[in-house]
Amino acid sequence: MVGEKRRSTSKNLAKNKKRKGPHLPNSILKTIANEKRPLNSDEEDDEIDSDDANVDLYEYEEGVPEEESRKNNRYDPVVNYDYELPEDFEDENVESDDDDEGGNSDNEEGEGDVVRHTRMLQAVTGMPSAAFDGESKRKPVLFTEAYPESEFNPTRDVLEGKGLLTIDDFMAPIEGKPGFNDLQKRISRMQKDTQAVVHAPLPKPERERLERKAVKGLVDKEFNKWVHMVKRNREAPTVYFNQNVSLGYSTVGAIASEFQPRTDFEKKMASVLNDNELGEAHDEDGAKLLELNEVSVEDHIKYRDHIAKMRSLLFRHELKSKRIKKIKSKTYHRLKGKDLKKSAMGALMDPEMAKEEAMKQEARRVEERMTLKHKNTGKWAKRMISRGLNVKYDGTRAAISEQLQINATLSRKMNSTNDGSSSDESDDEEELNDGSDQDTPSKLIAKAREKTLKTVEDDEVPNSGLLSLPFMARAMKKKNEEAIEEAKRALEEYEEWENSGGEENSKKTADVSGRRVFGATAKVEAPKESRKDSDNFYDNSDSDNDMEGIENNDLRAVRDTASPVRNTGAITETEKFDDDIENPASKTTFDVALFASGSWKKMKGCQNAETKKKTKKHVPYSKSQDKKESRDEESEDSESEAEQMVDGILTSASKETYEIPSQAELIQRAFAGDDVVDEFEKEKQEVLNQEVPEPEKPVLVPGWGQWTNIQKKRGLPSWMVREHEDAKKKRTLDLKTRKDARLRHVIISEKVDKKAEKLHTTTLPFPYTSKEVFEHSMRMPIGPEFNPATIVGSLNRPEVVKKAGVIIKPLKFEEANPNEKVDDEHPRSNQKQNPKKGGKTGKGQRKGKSKQKTKA
Amino acid sequence: MKIKTLSRPVDEYTRERSQDLQVVFHNFDPSLRPMEKAVEYKRALTAAKLEKIFARPFVGAMDGHRDGVSCMAKNPNYLKGIFSASMDGDIRLWDISSRRTVCQFPGHQGAVRGLTVSTDGNVLVSCGTDCTVRLWKVPRPTLEDSSVSSENFIEPAAEYVWKNAFWAVDHQFEGELFATAGAQLEIWNHNRASPVQSFQWGTDSVISVRFNPGEPDILATSASDRSITIYDLRMSSAARRIIMMTKTNSIAWNPMEPMNLTAANEDGSCYSFDGRKMDEAKCVHKDHVSAVMDIDFSPTGREFVTGSYDRSVRIFPYNGGHSREIYHTKRMQRVFCVKYSCDATYVLSGSDDTNLRLWKAKASEQLGVILPREQKKHEYNEAVKNRYKHLPEVKRIVRHRHLPKPIYKALGIIRTVNDSKRRKEDRRRAHSAPGTIVTKPLRQRRIIKEVE
Repeated sequence: MVGEKRRSTSKNLAKNKKRKGPHLPNSILKTIANEKRPLNSDEEDDEIDSDDANVDLYEYEEGVPEEESRKNNRYDPVVNYDYELPEDFEDENVESDDDDEGGNSDNEEGEGDVVRHTRMLQAVTGMPSAAFDGESKRKPVLFTEAYPESEFNPTRDVLEGKGLLTIDDFMAPIEGKPGFNDLQKRISRMQKDTQAVVHAPLPKPERERLERKAVKGLVDKEFNKWVHMVKRNREAPTVYFNQNVSLGYSTVGAIASEFQPRTDFEKKMASVLNDNELGEAHDEDGAKLLELNEVSVEDHIKYRDHIAKMRSLLFRHELKSKRIKKIKSKTYHRLKGKDLKKSAMGALMDPEMAKEEAMKQEARRVEERMTLKHKNTGKWAKRMISRGLNVKYDGTRAAISEQLQINATLSRKMNSTNDGSSSDESDDEEELNDGSDQDTPSKLIAKAREKTLKTVEDDEVPNSGLLSLPFMARAMKKKNEEAIEEAKRALEEYEEWENSGGEENSKKTADVSGRRVFGATAKVEAPKESRKDSDNFYDNSDSDNDMEGIENNDLRAVRDTASPVRNTGAITETEKFDDDIENPASKTTFDVALFASGSWKKMKGCQNAETKKKTKKHVPYSKSQDKKESRDEESEDSESEAEQMVDGILTSASKETYEIPSQAELIQRAFAGDDVVDEFEKEKQEVLNQEVPEPEKPVLVPGWGQWTNIQKKRGLPSWMVREHEDAKKKRTLDLKTRKDARLRHVIISEKVDKKAEKLHTTTLPFPYTSKEVFEHSMRMPIGPEFNPATIVGSLNRPEVVKKAGVIIKPLKFEEANPNEKVDDEHPRSNQKQNPKKGGKTGKGQRKGKSKQKTKA
Repeated sequence: MKIKTLSRPVDEYTRERSQDLQVVFHNFDPSLRPMEKAVEYKRALTAAKLEKIFARPFVGAMDGHRDGVSCMAKNPNYLKGIFSASMDGDIRLWDISSRRTVCQFPGHQGAVRGLTVSTDGNVLVSCGTDCTVRLWKVPRPTLEDSSVSSENFIEPAAEYVWKNAFWAVDHQFEGELFATAGAQLEIWNHNRASPVQSFQWGTDSVISVRFNPGEPDILATSASDRSITIYDLRMSSAARRIIMMTKTNSIAWNPMEPMNLTAANEDGSCYSFDGRKMDEAKCVHKDHVSAVMDIDFSPTGREFVTGSYDRSVRIFPYNGGHSREIYHTKRMQRVFCVKYSCDATYVLSGSDDTNLRLWKAKASEQLGVILPREQKKHEYNEAVKNRYKHLPEVKRIVRHRHLPKPIYKALGIIRTVNDSKRRKEDRRRAHSAPGTIVTKPLRQRRIIKEVE
């Protein structure tokens, strides 16, 4: 009722306003009202003030606000209807009906009503009229809004930030009641405290962004806590996922220990098994049973003896069979041995037998040589070999090799017999070569001579190496000559025995060997310096006349010692030299060459035909030698003494150059034969030709591509020529661009080996940073053949060890354990231990697992 | 004086039992074996060839659906069970070992788009375009599963109708919650008929969702506005979001590295991200020639399998730019879903041709019981091959894969396009002032921005 009344009064007020005076805009009204009201005023004052203000402003009021007046159509009428509902509203209340019906006339009377009403109240309550006056005069300003009130359409008051309820409004009713002052104090304190003021919340998107920022940090933190585990997993050479298999029990014992009897039968069994009395009884009974089982000593011994007998029988049987086998083979060997004895012993003891044997042997050898019976020339052997069956079957191969063996033995014997004869022959030949027709000397002497000769030959100066250097050669020569001297004496003795008949022969031999011997004797007799002189001298004296003259003049001993032996020695030497000459690569020293030339001169008398050949071969040896030879030839041609003299002077000059050879010259002479530079260049050229082959010359095949007559006329087609030229150009370019094009003494092969290419990578593979590391990674083999079994497993272990059929759970969090880091430094050893740990017992397994993964 | 004699105790070389291996003594002096490296190289080559010979990855196909297989779910608690759902609303539980349907879960009226199983393997959650989420009780595996051929049908344990169609669902690891993706991301509880939480960032619909197996309260989603978002359920707020150039079809978290996730992108590549730093991919896995439809990590965390719209399944190493393996058959159509089995031995693919296919994760792996010696031999072969894998001959053999013609051709085209792009880029750079043209690295190229 009261509310309704109020509404009606307010309506009346509004109507009054309409009627009276001009209206100020509401906002202005409000500001004025607020300014007039002091902040901390009491309720009473406030009321009065507001009253005053209202009263004051009353006259100046404009009346109806524009939107309410509907004077113009600027405002939406529909919305207004909504909120001017009270005007059309038919209230049930009679009074209000009356009011409404009253219309304008009512409005006029409205003020009178109010006065009357106050008077009535005054009369009833007996209170001063002022009290009621205030109540009645408090005219709250009501504004109707164009839009429904919501957060999107705040009221004017809200928009202006004024007209809100204040704390004072709430405080007013309780003023004077107990605790009021206390509360007020607290409130005032709160108002002073500006920090506690709650501000308006941020707009939603902004708020959410901030929220996300915070969440981002938290999520990152969550993720970061996994880092150590992820790192460990990634760095581990092997990750195990097969560890957490738990079957509950690991051993039969573990299963049995937890067995509980459930059924009746099981319970019965358990009771029987666990019964102590029964157990004791069984023990006793068991012992008795064992007693019954006892075996008597006699029986045992009998049994043992029986076995021993059987064994000995077996052993004897074995022995017997072995002996039979042995006897068999022995007889065979005996028979064979007899034969052997006959042949071998007989040959040794009896010359007759030996001769016979030799003859037999010879015959066999001859037969073998003629038929080649055992050289797999037979039909069968040929067939076998041609079909390659000898490779296939062991038996065949053995047979064939046996044949060859026989052939070899036969031929060996042949060789051994041949040796003597051949040496004899060679001796004979030598003698023949000497030109000394010797009357069949006794064999002994011949043998002796042969031996001495051999020793002489063996003492020959080596042709190359350190010993070939001049001074060494000289020393060697000296020694040799001493030895030769001795040999000579022995030979003389032989000769005396021999009593050779041919005076001429002997003379001839002496002539031939004369120079040679003379050199030697001169060396023995004359001082060293003179030796060379003489040597040179004789070198230059070529003609036979000269030689004889010299011989006659100087030395008798020459003639005395003249012997075929010396001769042969000289000749063998020359022969050796011939060999050397024929082999261009071998290095011969100057001295030896000189010596050779001397001998050659000796030989010249007999073998003129050979001379030219020899000179040709001597040419590359040394210049001095060359010179001498040319001079020799000259002297040969002229055969005049004057020239000889000139020769003599010349030789003396040459002797001087020889005496002071510089080191370089010596080396030059030493390596006179091999032209290393030239060889190298040739080699390089070869390599170049091989690696950058010369283009093939275009070939014109007659009748191909064109008629032959046209071909003849035009020659090679132009494209062929061009192609060839291009290829040539390309080749020269290639040669120029080679790495060794400018390096004269180097060959750098640029050939690419395709097979080796397979074993190289073109670039360094990704995870490796250096070549060395990459190569190192493949250095040690990992196979079971190359490593002990204990480490093969760890070497070959894959990155992920899993087991088919075992569910792998996602990673579970576990705190970083500082103690575990130590293990991580040796991951391999750690992992090696882990499987063992897991494998032992179920408990251990679980433990290991928890250590690995699931320590939460 | 001590005399040293050669002695060989009998115990050292005699076997205790006839089954024991004969003890062989080796002298491991390397000077005695100068050819060991050559021998090992040859063995590596042989191992590579043998691997090729024994590469028979296809184990079998599971036929039964009447429409393309849209999604699969593996039972985290039972190896043999795999759930699959098709576009016609059919859900089936398969027994992998016998490759037969164990039971069916009828009820969905439209295509089933999401399927997931709780970690204990008892509850199957499915959702689809019919705006329903259905919870099913998974029948306990029994021994006669494989022998009984009669198909039994199972009624849903609960059915929740919601406002919008669903695109994906994923279950929390070891928890009661599951998340559905649709018009927005919603978090459900098993026992509530309406979502307990709902997230929306932007207006585009979410197309895939995946919980982090390590951190059960963190999940990642991808939306059709080409974004990838990480949410944290505890704060009930998103944490990170990046926008890429193309849509991400599916996401997989690395189960062994909880901060890392890999996104299967529409552009044919997969992008591995670190959840803490999303503005750059850690690795870009390229090889598919068409959109990658699904991705699943191996439980070992070292590999993941992808299925693509180019009708192939590939297996990538988690840190490698190119695939290790490609699987394809003549009859396999667009692959919509792939799964790695829980023991990391098999790979399953479901494709448009209504079939599920079972593959070996390692094509040449020997199945069945392997004796220790065999195992050692396999390990040695693998190790030797791995050691010499950089040498050209071995590399060639190991890398060689036969590709279907369309993929081969597409690869050629892609290569040409990339080459020409690079050439153009090079020229542009060469003809402009130094420093004016900045090329983004490949890992950042497809990422537009990270949203705050």
